[in-house]
Amino acid sequence: MTPAFRGRYPLLFQVLDGASRGHLNLGQPLRHEPQSERPPVPATTHEPGERSFVIIGGGPAGLTAAYELTKLGKKATVLERRDIPGGLARTETYKGFYFDMGGHRFFTKSEEVERVWREVLQDEFLLRPRLSRIYYRKKFFYYPLKALDALAGLGPVEAVLIMASYVRWRLLPHREEDTFEQWVTNRFGKRLFETFFKTYTEKVWGIPCSELKAEWAAQRIKDLSLKTVLVSLFVSPGKKVKTLIEEFHYPRLGPGMMWSAVTERVEAGGGEVRFGTDVLRIQRRGDAIEGVRIVRGGREETVRGTDFISSMPVTELVRRLDPPPPLPVLEAARKLKYRDFLTVCLIVDKPDLFPDNWIYVHEPDVRVARIQNFKNWSPDMVPDPGKTSLGLEYFCNEGDKLWTMSDAELVELGRKEIDRIGLARYADVEDGCVFRVPKSYPVYDSGYAEHLAVVREYVDGLTNCASVGRNGLHRYNNQDHSMLTGMYAVRNMLFGEKNDLWSVNADLEYHEEVAGPAAPRSMDVLMQRALAVLLARLDAVALGVSAGAVSGALLFLMSVILVAKGGPVVGPTLSLLGQYLPGYEVSSLGSVLGLAYGALGGYVLGWTFAHARNAAMLGYVALLRWRARRAYLRKLLDEI
Amino acid sequence: MTPRDDDEREIERLVETRLLRVNALSFGIVAGLVAGLGLFVATNWLVLKGGGGHEVGPHLSLLAQYFVGYSVTFVGSLVGFVWAFACGLVVGYVGSWLYNTVARFRHQRGAP
Repeated sequence: MTPAFRGRYPLLFQVLDGASRGHLNLGQPLRHEPQSERPPVPATTHEPGERSFVIIGGGPAGLTAAYELTKLGKKATVLERRDIPGGLARTETYKGFYFDMGGHRFFTKSEEVERVWREVLQDEFLLRPRLSRIYYRKKFFYYPLKALDALAGLGPVEAVLIMASYVRWRLLPHREEDTFEQWVTNRFGKRLFETFFKTYTEKVWGIPCSELKAEWAAQRIKDLSLKTVLVSLFVSPGKKVKTLIEEFHYPRLGPGMMWSAVTERVEAGGGEVRFGTDVLRIQRRGDAIEGVRIVRGGREETVRGTDFISSMPVTELVRRLDPPPPLPVLEAARKLKYRDFLTVCLIVDKPDLFPDNWIYVHEPDVRVARIQNFKNWSPDMVPDPGKTSLGLEYFCNEGDKLWTMSDAELVELGRKEIDRIGLARYADVEDGCVFRVPKSYPVYDSGYAEHLAVVREYVDGLTNCASVGRNGLHRYNNQDHSMLTGMYAVRNMLFGEKNDLWSVNADLEYHEEVAGPAAPRSMDVLMQRALAVLLARLDAVALGVSAGAVSGALLFLMSVILVAKGGPVVGPTLSLLGQYLPGYEVSSLGSVLGLAYGALGGYVLGWTFAHARNAAMLGYVALLRWRARRAYLRKLLDEI
Repeated sequence: MTPRDDDEREIERLVETRLLRVNALSFGIVAGLVAGLGLFVATNWLVLKGGGGHEVGPHLSLLAQYFVGYSVTFVGSLVGFVWAFACGLVVGYVGSWLYNTVARFRHQRGAP
């Protein structure tokens, strides 16, 4: 292989070199099927010279890419495995009831995403009040936490212990913050962590908090950092953060409504969305993708194109490449893990059960982690106002005991647990169904960064293919971030922009085009300069000297001028200063004394002012830090 | 260590270690405007109140010792504005320049 090729994939070749020294068994490619053995198949082709776009995955990222292409007059073919659009943000239906898989609040800091939402659904959005609580020790606690409510629920003894734990961990924090447990403990104390975060987080992720990487939490709530709070105070009020906490927008029939509308627009623009399509292989020649081998309705076909966007899990993308990538890439992909979940949907014969949109279930003796009340998301999600639909979310791993339980068993489990919690009676549940959502969360375990780097390097080397979306990037992105990756992928392909799709995440200000390695830091540098001006320390001695010199000189000049002007009584008013400055008078000698007094008094005043101002500024930063920490606490559970 | 912690420490470092520099001209202009407008308003306030048969603003009019042409009248307030602005500008500029010079000198010598 050429040095240039090696230079392009340094990390990959580092692994390969290790393998060649016997660290890894390279063996035979895993999925390589000899070309000659393949049956002749029909192919979807495109006109010579015309660019044709093939998009794997009909979720937010893939459909947004198709939508953007359609608006630009390009035709895209979207290949979607399921029979409905939306991917992880889809809305399932059962007997006229709508079930949002996971609960998707429509909130974004990206104007581009907001524009698409408004363009597509226009006035179909509802503005909904947000109410969510935590169920713990048979009691409900408002989330975001309210001090009096938490105090009443936990009792004064527990509240004191939580405060004591907070103080202890603020004074003596973990030195390293590698894990989620360390990260939360350092900020809120161990007792609060164990009370309100540990059980739920471990239910969701299926691994101990001591093994979950802190980087995940840092990425998810990066936009609430101290720096952001600080800047928001000077630049613009953080109203959006408040809005997200207290109310949110939601399509009348759930997020699936958005993706159905996008599908219609893509098809109306000449594009195609093929549902029920499984991708068998992704045909590769060198660094370029040539086509996608699919099966749909039992019929195999090859979809050819010039440009490819994939929102399928990046692990699946590399596994389906034909010929396959080097074995270390496959091995790295195999080590990337996902967390899955299933929703047990219950239809309850009661018009109203509880006022919350959703409830976090921290109780360790039930397996359900979160309960959605879809009627409170939108009344139109329920066809009969006399009934209520609930979604009991169980987090699991594909193939485990929970995942493989039959639907009937899961519905039974859901009925029992909702009854045990006391939100609905067993007998009132009249029907139910189950929806499974595989690969819903990319797992940030201890080795994921290293494995992802190998996979990413290889995927980035594909010249006409972009991986997008939550699973395409193995990044815990929200719906709006996934949409942004689809938009940026299109821009990269059509306009030669160099947007780094892997960097689109919870970073609220991701808008800049990355021109080079130093570019992402440019905003930080500007921010630092601005903050330096706003917060930098006053030099107390310098201010004292300056104030002393000026005031001394002023008093000296004022005295000398009056002395020079003369008169029967020189400066009777100014000489009243002698009441405070012993020995001072409006005379030549008094002028010199006034100079000394002015200098001394000015110095003391300047020095004192500078110290007071610096102390006030430090206090102000401490206040901002406290506000930022409170903002983390308000948002943390929503982001888990 | 997470990115945010870096941010927070960076901000604290800024407050604790970076020195505020003052733009002397801006500060001088602001000081001049404050002084000028202050004297303008103070003078006209007394003019509007009137003296009720007595001299208007006997104490403020002592500024005429320094500001040639100043008096507690409307015209005097305009003259006073010019004088006070000039004085404020000089005082603000010189004070800022002195502060920056001393601060730079101390910083170069490694003062805390």
